[in-house]
Amino acid sequence: MSESSVIGAAATSPREAFRHGVRDLLPAAPGVFAWGLVTGVAMVKSGLGVPESIVMSLVAYAGSAQLAALPLMATFAPIWLIVVTAVIVNLRFVVYSVMTRQHFAGLSMNRRLWLGYLVGDIMFARFSALLERQPDYPHRIAYYFGGASCNWMWWQVSSIIGILAATRIPVSWGLELAGTLTLIALLVPLCRQWPVLAGASVAAATSVLAHGLPLRLGLALGIALGVATAFVVERGREEA
Amino acid sequence: MIDSYVLWAILGITLATFITRSGPHLLGARLRIPPAFDAALRFAPACALAAIIAPDLVFTGDTLNLTLENPRWVAGVAAAVIFATSRSMIATIVGGMAFFWLLKAWFVG
Repeated sequence: MSESSVIGAAATSPREAFRHGVRDLLPAAPGVFAWGLVTGVAMVKSGLGVPESIVMSLVAYAGSAQLAALPLMATFAPIWLIVVTAVIVNLRFVVYSVMTRQHFAGLSMNRRLWLGYLVGDIMFARFSALLERQPDYPHRIAYYFGGASCNWMWWQVSSIIGILAATRIPVSWGLELAGTLTLIALLVPLCRQWPVLAGASVAAATSVLAHGLPLRLGLALGIALGVATAFVVERGREEA
Repeated sequence: MIDSYVLWAILGITLATFITRSGPHLLGARLRIPPAFDAALRFAPACALAAIIAPDLVFTGDTLNLTLENPRWVAGVAAAVIFATSRSMIATIVGGMAFFWLLKAWFVG
């Protein structure tokens, strides 16, 4: 967590809020980089050409969905199946967008769609943590845009390096773990409340137990059961 | 240069990105959600993170592996402890990876 967030200095201008967003993303940069790199390597190793991989990375901007689509593409599966697979793998982004929509409500359609496209796990966690601490944070869109656009660029740089250097980066390094460790650092501070801890535990257990389900449906199921658990625990505590 | 099947597949994945990330914004205020549901979504970030992290740590391929032959879960626990005590993301990533590589060298060879 960056110091600026902890102190909670309210940004007085959109420019400052933008910089604040960038600053809040920076500590996660090594994790994003390792993840992008590994995704780029995996795309090329699965047989996709270098120019194709670069185009896919630049427009699709969906790490796990890209990786899920590759085995389907290798067997020339129908396009609709690829679309359905990618939608299901990315179901969590629907939840993120439903949550951010109230903050984007006053903006033009065009801006809402672009800001939605830029959402990612890390910046979403940062954005919701910020608004949990400071519900009236001014210039929140600039904050979000700063972090999310920075995440996009950093991801693309690392992914393209991974694509170009694919043959030189051994899988055995286990670099993708750095991405997971980044998410752990985001999760730990959220678990200080009982309902969140209960929900996260159920989400984790469900996701592990349902790992065998196709299309990473175990992930979506884990989120659904985790959110329901946290909600019930919170209600129970309020009534107690 | 890029054959048309691959191009269509890329457009398809991009469409999926658009549906999931921008779809709710396309509906905007017309998307009505019960307040209780909206309140419950407050827990979504933590649950999503937990559900992404857990399988990454405990599976080797498709098998559940909680022995020291799989150093990832140990590195994950170490990373959580490092973050809880240091509040530093960089220390968490570097420390966790160091743990991972050391354990791997030690137990897996």
